Amino acid sequence: MRCNTSLCSKSAALALAGYAAVFGLAVLLGAARALAEAPGSGTEDPNNWPQYHRTSNGWRYSPLEQINKTNIGRLKVAWIHQAGDITHGTQETPIVVDGVIYSISAGNRVAAIDAKTGKDIWRYEPKLDPLTKKVLFSPYSRGVAVGRGKVFLATVDGRGIAIDQKTGKEVWQTQLTDFPNCHGCNFTSPPVLAGDVLTFGSTGGELATAGKIYGVEADSGKKLWEFETIKRDVASWPAESGKYGGGGAWMPGTYDAETNTVFYGTGNPGKDFVGSEREGDNLYTDSIVALDPKTGTLKWYRQEIKHDVWDYDSTYELLLLQRDGKDLLIHLNKSGFVLVMDKLNGKLDNVWRLSETINFAKDVDPKTGEIIGRVELQMGKPTVICPSPFGARSWNSGAYNPKTGLWYTDAMEFCAALTPVEQKTDPKDYATAHIGSEDFGKLQLASGHVPGRLDARDPITGQRRWTYETEIPSFGSVLATGGGLVFNGDPLGNLRAFDADNGQVLWTFNTGSGLRSGLVSYAVDGKQYILVPSGWGSYAAILLPPLFPQLEKVPAASTLIAFSLED
Amino acid sequence: MAAIATVIGTLAFFASVRAAHSADGARPDLTDSKVISAGRDLYLDKHCSHCHGATGEGGVNLVKRDLTNPSYVFDAIADGRERSGLRMPAWREVLSDREIWQITAYIISLSQNPK
Repeated sequence: MRCNTSLCSKSAALALAGYAAVFGLAVLLGAARALAEAPGSGTEDPNNWPQYHRTSNGWRYSPLEQINKTNIGRLKVAWIHQAGDITHGTQETPIVVDGVIYSISAGNRVAAIDAKTGKDIWRYEPKLDPLTKKVLFSPYSRGVAVGRGKVFLATVDGRGIAIDQKTGKEVWQTQLTDFPNCHGCNFTSPPVLAGDVLTFGSTGGELATAGKIYGVEADSGKKLWEFETIKRDVASWPAESGKYGGGGAWMPGTYDAETNTVFYGTGNPGKDFVGSEREGDNLYTDSIVALDPKTGTLKWYRQEIKHDVWDYDSTYELLLLQRDGKDLLIHLNKSGFVLVMDKLNGKLDNVWRLSETINFAKDVDPKTGEIIGRVELQMGKPTVICPSPFGARSWNSGAYNPKTGLWYTDAMEFCAALTPVEQKTDPKDYATAHIGSEDFGKLQLASGHVPGRLDARDPITGQRRWTYETEIPSFGSVLATGGGLVFNGDPLGNLRAFDADNGQVLWTFNTGSGLRSGLVSYAVDGKQYILVPSGWGSYAAILLPPLFPQLEKVPAASTLIAFSLED
Repeated sequence: MAAIATVIGTLAFFASVRAAHSADGARPDLTDSKVISAGRDLYLDKHCSHCHGATGEGGVNLVKRDLTNPSYVFDAIADGRERSGLRMPAWREVLSDREIWQITAYIISLSQNPK
């Protein structure tokens, strides 16, 4: 019996009940974990969602199979939890450990919630710097990290905070960024727990700052190191151009224990659309960086977009896979190119296209990664670039199912007219994006293409198994489960469960607000739950209505909705 | 008379509070074309157009709304807004009161623009 995937099936539960009578619950839980597949396979610790992508390989795959293709029609709401403050909706991926959900909402408010009932266990609210009212990226967060008896929080005023996991009491806090003097540089994603070190990636691409990744001692909060995502190199950043070069790492990285490496994807260089002020490669922006978590030492890097002028960050999820004896790192760049590389050194294995409408370049060399046939922007003149600065997909992550061997990811096909203009640099002009344009581009549809898709693809070759087209793209992360299901939701609140093999829609539910978050699955006392954070928000909610008028009236919310099979 | 005096006094008090809150002392003539033009330049320079569009027809549309109350617009810019899940940052001390009034003038000119 492979306990990891069958623990929550009724037959397995009955069988295990016998053992429980003899050995007791603690032994049962220990046995359940012991029967899981080998650590690192993506199926370990099946009942929990202990980190941002559940496992370090970035799969967003729950091996639980109690909810499956045959019974999905019996999926019902088990409970609903309201965060209270709905500012910018909810963008989090909740963490679930041993029957407790750790959730973060607007203003960096953290709650521990009973995963069976939805009732609060404790709440923690940090007192934020009033300057957070003025800065560009606030007051939202995409999650917390949990481990070593603590809940770790990265705040929108640039602090790291540790909370006692059981009591909700603060254990330590450390100011990491120079928040008032660096254009409000802060954190909008959870830290990564890499052994006894926490790593934090700062916002940066659209800020007049030089973004950094920080290493902190997890038990004490002591800062250990800083990694500068803006390389101190005049060949890469002439004169003073790197001083406000952006970069940063605004999405969570991932810790690979096998190689003792923390991987991060970095943000775009600034000003986004004005390359003439920063001639050079602009390292280490738009790059994958492999860091030693103890020291912050750079092991290797791969820059995906040299001298970016289109806002094509490299911050999305890092998918780790083994196939044909290769240890691979697969990464979607915002540009729509997917780079398949050696996890150990970043050497390219393949490059394929998720987007069908790429026009910023003719191609990317699959051997070297060089961009071929770049389209440069002209100051003061609009140039239609595909994909738009929203990317071939936004930061909502895809999911990989090891049973099907498919990576399920949203994709978008729309463009933007980009017009670079002169802009003064002022790190205290807190709310003005440091991008060299009066807008993020005038969005426009790509003729002959449906704007949104959910694709099921081979992550290494890009070969497509199935696709589901939508008039409004999804901005919520995908969840894949051992029950052969794929869950995904859209900005109108339509939550769908697909057959992982063929893309057939098996179940739908409208959550009442849009999805901009990470769906997770967990099990408590033999019952599997699908947990859906619902609440439309983020800059997508503000910037998309001119292109998608259907989004003008989407109600805001910050709600956790737990689903389970009706008894 | 006493009652009228009380009412007038109360109104005067609230008017003075609002004036102080909205820094009415720095308020220019909001219909002056030079003020409106200066406001437009600031509006674009500070990227209000990201969310509101260069002519007020962006994702958070200004043209469709009744924004004819100057103090309301000034306070929204100065102190920011969090409404219906959307958030606008606060600009007080990043911009001077006079600059906020100039942007206010431009926004009012947009919302009054016949469509």
